[in-house]
Amino acid sequence: MGISVTDLSKHYGPVAAIGGVSFEIADGEFVSLLGPSGCGKTTTLRCIAGLEHATGGRISIGGRLVSAPAEGLLVPAHERQIGMVFQSYAVWPHMSVRQNVAFPLSVRGVSAADCASQVAEALRVVGLEHLADRHPSQLSGGQQQRVALARAIIGSPAVLLFDEPLSNLDAKLREGMRGEIHRLQRRLGIAAVYVTHDREEALSMSDRVIVMEQGRIVQVGTPRDLYRRPRSRFVADFVGKVGLIALHRQGDGWASTDGTAILVAPGEPCGPTALGAVRPENIRLLRGGEVAAAPEVNLLSGIVTEAQYLGPFTEYVVDAAGASLRAFAQMDLPVGAPVTLGIAAEHLVLVPDA
Amino acid sequence: MTGIAKRAGTRGGAASERILHGLYLLTFAAVLALVMLPISALIYGSFRTSAPGEPVGEWTLRNYENLASQGVLNSMWTTLWIGLVSAAFCIILGTALALVVHRTDFRWPRLMTTLIGLAFYFPSFIVAMAWIIMGSPGGVVNAVLGDLLGLEWPRVDIYSAFGIVFVSVLHQVPFVYLTVRGPIIHMDASYEEAARAAGATPMTVMRRVTLPLLGYSLASSFILVFVLSIEQFAVPALIGIPGRVTMLATQLYLLVRFSPVDYGLAAAIGLALSAITGAAIWAQRRITRAGRLTTVTGKAGRVAPIPLGRWRWAANLFCFGFISLALLLPMVILIYTSLLRWFTANPFAGMYTWRNYVFMWESDSTWQSLWNTLIVSGVGAVMGVTLGLMCSYFTLRLRPKGHGWLDLLVVLPFGVPGIVLGLGLLWAYAFLPLPLYGTIAVIIVAFVTRFLPYATETVGGQMVQIDRSLEEAAWVGGANRLRAAQRIILPLIAPSVQGAYFLLFMAFFREISAAILLYSANTKVISISIWAFFEQANWGQASALSVATTFVIFAILLVIGWLVSAGRRF
Ligand SMILES: Nc1ncnc2c1ncn2[C@@H]1O[C@H](COP(=O)(O)OP(=O)(O)O)[C@@H](O)[C@H]1O
Ligand SMILES: [Mg+2]
Repeated sequence: MGISVTDLSKHYGPVAAIGGVSFEIADGEFVSLLGPSGCGKTTTLRCIAGLEHATGGRISIGGRLVSAPAEGLLVPAHERQIGMVFQSYAVWPHMSVRQNVAFPLSVRGVSAADCASQVAEALRVVGLEHLADRHPSQLSGGQQQRVALARAIIGSPAVLLFDEPLSNLDAKLREGMRGEIHRLQRRLGIAAVYVTHDREEALSMSDRVIVMEQGRIVQVGTPRDLYRRPRSRFVADFVGKVGLIALHRQGDGWASTDGTAILVAPGEPCGPTALGAVRPENIRLLRGGEVAAAPEVNLLSGIVTEAQYLGPFTEYVVDAAGASLRAFAQMDLPVGAPVTLGIAAEHLVLVPDA
Repeated sequence: MTGIAKRAGTRGGAASERILHGLYLLTFAAVLALVMLPISALIYGSFRTSAPGEPVGEWTLRNYENLASQGVLNSMWTTLWIGLVSAAFCIILGTALALVVHRTDFRWPRLMTTLIGLAFYFPSFIVAMAWIIMGSPGGVVNAVLGDLLGLEWPRVDIYSAFGIVFVSVLHQVPFVYLTVRGPIIHMDASYEEAARAAGATPMTVMRRVTLPLLGYSLASSFILVFVLSIEQFAVPALIGIPGRVTMLATQLYLLVRFSPVDYGLAAAIGLALSAITGAAIWAQRRITRAGRLTTVTGKAGRVAPIPLGRWRWAANLFCFGFISLALLLPMVILIYTSLLRWFTANPFAGMYTWRNYVFMWESDSTWQSLWNTLIVSGVGAVMGVTLGLMCSYFTLRLRPKGHGWLDLLVVLPFGVPGIVLGLGLLWAYAFLPLPLYGTIAVIIVAFVTRFLPYATETVGGQMVQIDRSLEEAAWVGGANRLRAAQRIILPLIAPSVQGAYFLLFMAFFREISAAILLYSANTKVISISIWAFFEQANWGQASALSVATTFVIFAILLVIGWLVSAGRRF
């Protein structure tokens, strides 16, 4: 059940927008497609919706094969039983809120009484009962987004698809809507695919995140997994701030370019050189001389080159071990101050350097 | 989960596809026939020695050789320079009007917009007739100059190239005004405010920022007016034929209607004229496409109006002077002429009578032509808009195989002057085994073909603005394509469909050039009846019918304006 995508590809003329993408999404699972603009997220989602015709691969929704161009099978969008929220909301300006939400039921010939009760329920869920007879032009952006949401969930679709639904909202509203969309999906217990280029959205809402780059999947995992154990420089960089230390093999272990031996987290063996990736919040910043040696902790001496005071803490850039590393600390240090960085081995993750 | 079962009940997907496919084929066939029949008939005719339908003719290149004859070259030259000079005057006057009305503290912008709108719908052949009555050698102006003021000099003669330019400009300035008005109003105010902040005076801003930013709009408008000037028929025929100033459109008419008749040469001239207008339209579309990338952002801003100060009298004189020449004076003269028993330039010597109106009221043929006009306009516009709507939907939304060809076919009539289209149909229906010749249907066919691009531009202009996702949301919500078109697209473009209907109705009501070669005694439309009276030198009848027609047109405008503003309240 849920959604199953196998070796999906989509070509525009000679250009491959997506080249061989496979994943499974279980019922009740919330999965994000995350990646930079132009990497093929929207195209993947639209292929699932049937708004774009895939050029290869297979797609099943709820156990039913809906797209298999090799066999000449293409179920049109209106027969796929999906709920979708568009980036532009796509709330029809010539219909009232109630008519907008009722549309998926009314085109399917649901009786008026049934329709009215389901619409009322859907509007209640998104908190718009009191605006049912307004027209979209009389609604704020956030309210229009709720209309789109109500329209997507009405009549219990088999899957829910979201294409950057929050990108047109202001920051405050966005955070509120995140929680709301997540709760809603949990309640309905159906598979959801959420396209975004905002890593916070992806990390905070998803059960799993699929990271894409140039039409391909580069890593799939839970938000924690992705953040803590990125498998490439691209993923490490894309899901959060990261410091990268160039490393090469030295005996059994690793060393930085200036020859310091570096302890790293156990992981897959790489080639003769690699990058050690560390998140800023995992770097302990110590004043120049303070050295509190501990097992399994790398101690690197460096110089503060930049400092940005952000309120709760200061973000420092420190040159150490031949790299520029970001670190957060509450103490105040001037630029040029000598410091020591403490990085626990478990927080230094190896990724290939190419 | 009862909901799933309910959502699953989608029917009619395949049927909807079949219906849409059928509609597409039908639309394609109709447009292909409408556009390509007259054009290919014309091309055929241009290689023949004989008149349409005559069995004796043979193949020849003579008609193209004759294009290079002195007579044709002269008319080509006349056509081009009259077109360029008219277009230049129109652009200057029309832009100046728009700037005065919308960018200064001119006192009556709304009144002026309304009056210019009326002038836009005032038929060109009626303006031409009025100015002939005023400006002919024995006309009102010379009478005033000579008899009233006792001057020996000057005298005016409307029957000249100058006369054609004069009347064309009066008729077409409103078109320029209406096309540059939008860009002037919607221009992003911040460009001009930045120039003001940089220390420029209002006049410098106008010269250095506003006008250059309007460049694309002005260039596009210039080309369109040039095309209107060289393809028009009524004005050069009414003024130019008596004055022996021949433009290509009138030469074509003379070759078909008066001996020595030469249909083949007429066809070649028609193609030559179409080549010029077609190339101009092509250039215009390139310019608009390039221009769309710049300047006008749609964020209308309020720039502080330029104070007219002590030049207010000049601005008022300019605006109301233009309206007087283009609208008021012609109306007064026509009313005056329609009330005279015999024409005289001196209103104190006139014998006044209602008999022109009485005759008009009692004449069966006038009623017949009114009835014909209403059928042609009412029914023809429905057909034109329906076809235009289909074309827009298929070329902009559904985009099935071959839609690019449909898109091209549909703009071709833009490049074909009305009288050329008429000639093409004349050739075509002489060969087709259809009993269409001499019926009202052939006039409808001609008008629909000629104005089809106007319908697709109007409807398509709004259709492209409907975000794709609005339609996609309906598909995802379970509506098949037909259903989505019907419930989402159609309601959203309804205003432009109404607009296109109105545009076509008014155009059909006034059109003369496409009908002049196709009408028969029973299929006269009002414009042709007026034309016929005027040709018989029956100025009284022509004026009475013109006055009546003008009042009908203005009454329709009034009703539509009222309906639109009533509709806006919801
Ligand atoms: N209609 C189209 N024609 C040609 N190329 C397209 C079309 N739509 C998308 N693309 C290309 O496909 C790639 C993926 O696009 P998209 O899925 O929209 O990216 P994303 O949503 O990840 O930003 C892009 O490089 C884009 O240029
Ligand atoms: Mg996208």
